[in-house]
Amino acid sequence: MSTATTILTEDELRRLKAPARREKLFRFASYFSPLLLLLIWELSSQFNLIDRRFFPAPSAIAETAWRMIVSLELFEHMGATLRRVGIGYMMGAIPGITLGLILGLSQPARRILGPIFSALYPVPKIAILPLILLIFGVGDASKFVVIAIGVFFLMFYNTMGGVLQTPQIYMDVAKNAGASRFQTFTRIAFPAALPSIFTGLKLAAGSSYIIIAAAEFLGARSGVGFFIWASWQTFAVSRMFVGIVVISVMGYLTILALEALERHFVAWAKN
Amino acid sequence: MQAVQEKVRPSPAKTAGAAIEVSHLTKAFYDSQDDRVTVAVSDVSFEVERGEFVCIVGPSGCGKTTVLRILAGLEDELSGSVKLHSSTPPAMVFQEASVLPWLTVSQNIAFPLSLKGVPRAQQETRVREMLTLTGLTDFANALPHQLSGGMKQRVSVARALVDDRDILLMDEPFGALDEQTRLVLQQELLRIWETTGKTVVFITHSVDEALTLADRVLVMSPRPGRLVADMRVPFERPRDVVEMRRDKRFWDMTYEVWRLLASPAEA
Repeated sequence: MSTATTILTEDELRRLKAPARREKLFRFASYFSPLLLLLIWELSSQFNLIDRRFFPAPSAIAETAWRMIVSLELFEHMGATLRRVGIGYMMGAIPGITLGLILGLSQPARRILGPIFSALYPVPKIAILPLILLIFGVGDASKFVVIAIGVFFLMFYNTMGGVLQTPQIYMDVAKNAGASRFQTFTRIAFPAALPSIFTGLKLAAGSSYIIIAAAEFLGARSGVGFFIWASWQTFAVSRMFVGIVVISVMGYLTILALEALERHFVAWAKN
Repeated sequence: MQAVQEKVRPSPAKTAGAAIEVSHLTKAFYDSQDDRVTVAVSDVSFEVERGEFVCIVGPSGCGKTTVLRILAGLEDELSGSVKLHSSTPPAMVFQEASVLPWLTVSQNIAFPLSLKGVPRAQQETRVREMLTLTGLTDFANALPHQLSGGMKQRVSVARALVDDRDILLMDEPFGALDEQTRLVLQQELLRIWETTGKTVVFITHSVDEALTLADRVLVMSPRPGRLVADMRVPFERPRDVVEMRRDKRFWDMTYEVWRLLASPAEA
């Protein structure tokens, strides 16, 4: 490093580092481009360039949000949604990962059970919501189940794909080192599939919020989805926007949290 | 839980008796899609003495890796028999990077021990010995993607030695490395072998490597793989992998093996 700086001239160093410096500038600017959109929206709304009944100014939405935060109303709905997503997510992810590992490792299981999952997978989860409401009632159980179903398939396919992509040599290493079938499962297949499992977890988090929003539109008395729907019915457009922003932020934060976990547990897969 | 502690070793210079007996081994693969049968190994017989270092040389696709995989129990023979006279299953050092990328160097080396549930403290002692033996001490906590190809193969070797099995099977372990690194690792392997006295079967496509390392070289013909020669390598031990290249016998034998490999396989 120090030798390089003495060999190269000032000018050469400047030219060498120019692309990296430009890159940094762009990255800095990229943080502000969404804010620019918000600013345009605010101004257009203030000057009546867009219909304020449909697109209230961001400042008006923020004011509504603040009132809902102070009254704790917002947290009630967020809590209800988060609980449903959290429980449903676990109910889908754990069996999804387990079955994905089993079918990934066992060819006979994959041959026999695989077609069942392939046949069920294309059914849109929202389309079976009425059926699930019929079976599990309008309470939280139906919300858990519909999320679990959506999450299950994403986890199942991503996990199985991860196991199937595991280089055969890792299996040979395990066998030669004296691993039992169960050890091959926990010590080789699971860690090898972990990058795919995290891809699945992130996809599943995104689709969980889509499903919960729809599920809460129909049969719920709480939750952000219910709140968006109720705002529509009373034509409280500002409140509706608050709901939309809140559920988006919830989804975004969930994925950020999963990415942090991924960086921690799958650091070895980088590069 | 078998011997993880160092035992007193008989000197590598022959304690009589065969460690490996292979007789009339035949292996074929069937591709049902094209309805094609490929004979990988045909009627191969050889023995390996206890403590002996044997290299199998042959062109790629001659079935030498298949022979080794059958010895390791990773593949079944079609006919013939394979007998291993050993209290422990053979340990294998694989061709490509077989180091598990999610484990650190230490965890990779400890892998066979941890599968057996060897107590943590005992594992650590043994891993430390292996790190010293293979010159990896400074990389104990590194992840594989931070290592060079040579370092990764050192980890593979350390992992194969860690639970002290009698037979070591090596499948072109240095094939993907540059020449300098390979020479260094060959010298280290010889040093390790001389101190542990293990029975080694080493696969390579390099005549040079085979003559450098082995007590005996088995030469295989192209597919279907047959044994065409069984040659004793006369160089004394311990060997210096660079110095032995000044020996005229080294080049005579090189010529001899090349002549065998170049001759067309009889039908």
